[in-house]
Amino acid sequence: MASFLGRRALHSAIALIGLILAVFFLVRLTGDPTDLYLPIDASLETRKEFAHKHGFDRPSAEQFLVFLKDVSNGDLGYSLRKQRPAMELVLEAYPTTLALAGVAMVLSITLAIIVGAIAAYKPGGVFDRISSMASLAGASAPDFWIAITGILIFAVTLRWLPTSGVGDLPYWILPIGVLMLRPFGLMVQVVRAAMLGALSSAYVKTARAKGVGETAVIFVHALRNACLSIVTVAGDLTVGMINGAVIVETVFGWPGVGKLMIDSVMQRDFPTVQATIMVTATAIFLLNIAIDFLYVALDPRIRHQ
Amino acid sequence: MKQMTSRHGAGRWLTAAAAVTAVLGVTGALHSAQAQKIVTVVLSEEPEGLDGCNANRSTVGRVAKQNIVETLTEIDPKDGTIRPRLATSWTKVNATTWRFELRKGVKFHDGADFNATNASKAISRTMDSKLDCETRTKSFGDLKLSTKAVGSHTLDISANKPVPILPTRMGVVSLSSPNTRTDKLVLNPIGTGPYVFDKWTPGQEITLKRFNGYWGKKPVVEGARYIWRSESTVRAAMVEVGEADIAPNIAVQDATNPKMDFSYPNSETTRLRIDITQAPLNDKRVRLALNYAFDRDALIGSILSKDIEHATQIIVPSINGHNPALKVRKYDPAMAKKLIAEAKAAGVPVGKEIVIIGRTNIYPNGTEAMEAMMSMFQDVGLNVKLRMMEVGSWLKYLTKPYDKNRGAILLQAQHDNNNGDAVFSVFNKFACGGAQSSICNKPMDELISKASTMSGDERRKTWQEVNRIIYEDITSDVWMYHMVGYSRVGGRINFTPSISTNSELHLEEMSFK
Repeated sequence: MASFLGRRALHSAIALIGLILAVFFLVRLTGDPTDLYLPIDASLETRKEFAHKHGFDRPSAEQFLVFLKDVSNGDLGYSLRKQRPAMELVLEAYPTTLALAGVAMVLSITLAIIVGAIAAYKPGGVFDRISSMASLAGASAPDFWIAITGILIFAVTLRWLPTSGVGDLPYWILPIGVLMLRPFGLMVQVVRAAMLGALSSAYVKTARAKGVGETAVIFVHALRNACLSIVTVAGDLTVGMINGAVIVETVFGWPGVGKLMIDSVMQRDFPTVQATIMVTATAIFLLNIAIDFLYVALDPRIRHQ
Repeated sequence: MKQMTSRHGAGRWLTAAAAVTAVLGVTGALHSAQAQKIVTVVLSEEPEGLDGCNANRSTVGRVAKQNIVETLTEIDPKDGTIRPRLATSWTKVNATTWRFELRKGVKFHDGADFNATNASKAISRTMDSKLDCETRTKSFGDLKLSTKAVGSHTLDISANKPVPILPTRMGVVSLSSPNTRTDKLVLNPIGTGPYVFDKWTPGQEITLKRFNGYWGKKPVVEGARYIWRSESTVRAAMVEVGEADIAPNIAVQDATNPKMDFSYPNSETTRLRIDITQAPLNDKRVRLALNYAFDRDALIGSILSKDIEHATQIIVPSINGHNPALKVRKYDPAMAKKLIAEAKAAGVPVGKEIVIIGRTNIYPNGTEAMEAMMSMFQDVGLNVKLRMMEVGSWLKYLTKPYDKNRGAILLQAQHDNNNGDAVFSVFNKFACGGAQSSICNKPMDELISKASTMSGDERRKTWQEVNRIIYEDITSDVWMYHMVGYSRVGGRINFTPSISTNSELHLEEMSFK
């Protein structure tokens, strides 16, 4: 186990270093941030002075050496846009993203397993047809449109929910609802397909012949064997979500890491882009290790290998 | 069966309880803010900081300017005249120096006295190149200010060259406490204004409280809460349902409620800047043809707002130097074709490619406006293409030094000036040495220099003549519109947006119904 963890950590560290290098030089290819930070009426002299002060007039390689020196001192830079340490901004935004992603994924997976399993129990039945249609619609509906429509219906017309913002339970309903749609839709399709295969297998027939109840057949015997493909897809969707739920964060005013990253890229706020990517990449590596452990727990064959 | 009914009943109660909790949660928070006479303002983005020396940036200014930090003078949004704020009067000492008498009995929020010494420190901080203060980089350029306290409340401000409208220029310099750090920009400004900075919850809200030691009339509004949502639809919805009191800027398509929505001239003027150094645009007939080919009425109320007005110059009517005698060129495609034919006959390469350089998101539907204009220019026989760019790339075409191989360019541009005088626009955009000028006309340059040192009626008339030369003699632009902004104001408060709403939002002017 220790050697497995060590290998994964080493691979992750190598990938992380490669990623940081790529990000550092690629963001600088987008141009000098000076023009974006100064008013458009600023004189050429002022622009030169600004670029020199912040080191944007130096070669990228020289800037990288300065960056390495700062990182070795635990300093990931100062956000030009927000006038605060970049890492502080990222760590402040990350819990919001994790909370949104966590709640949305737990609810999506739970509901998808129930709906997908029931749909697979009677393929072609009324429930299967309705759930397939609804899940496909959910998976393909544009987040932005759903979010705005949700606000107009539930906040403006019915006045049941707040339009946006961070707060107690009512404030979570619309953002989570919108965020769940796509993973729920996709997961229902995956669960249904995996369960169809599992329910027609020999061990399920044997279980039924032995008189095992239908609920146990579906949720104990078949579901456990269908779990591998479900975990793969759920892991992939979760990775996407901890990169930041940009649309939901933007529309509903949730200060998460997705919006922070997009705004920083648009404003060429290099230190914040670098800090965001470092933290996000680390979170994704940790998540992938957790998924590996889950595979091992679910499938003894992998454990033996 | 009975059991099932019972379960369904419990489900209904649970659903109902959840809905009631949700509604009570929301309305409870709203009632709390309303009872305390707190105004909630929903902005389009979170301010980058709140330092007073960046208060001319609209994101900072709507929170801080004249609310937390104040200026010596201020522009009256109704007529563009200058009026006292922290200075009570001013006189010209010589060509480069003005003497300001400061208001007595004024305190900063941290208890420091507002006097000549502390005002001097605040101005020096803003002008210090160690800080990237937008007030300095945007409004002063190569103009250097120095200050000298000549009495406890008498301050001399000198410039490195004559500035006859220095009192007007001081309307953009917000003064912070002498205890404000000078090595970096701050997030918690300390000024003399009617409101004290209270708290900033990053990503969520900024709150201000009324300053009990304010020198002026006690404002009705007890405090303010600033929140931000990127989407205009959401901002408009928040005011409509009572979650916010004011959304200072919403998109035209969201301004659908005549009872709540106000349009106001936002001091922005749009145009296509013609690069008159490049063929075929170096021929005045072609430049006039572009102006006659543009159906200005077609865009109003369709692609752009119905409330915008035709422009003939860079400044809006309330700014000193606006020339009301300039008449809008009527849409006349036949005249445009005739002028192009004349130019062609004279050997001008009218078939050469002309590129409109547009900027994405420069104003709502800016891309669509450029597409429409390109089509109008093509209809009269010009070879016009459109290239839309993000701001970083677009800036390379806006500001000198220009690329030698740029070709014939029409640059989509927008400029705002609500600072009271044409000087804030004309030099930079039209003088030979202007960083964003595409023209160089020596006689006009002399007039610009003269106007900059004049005052009163003479100054106004000279600026008007400069604007006439740009429009009639040179024709260096396809003038488009003086733009408008839209604000939504909730039913709970009295507030009428004005030209200053584009960059400031004075809480002291608000009251409750």
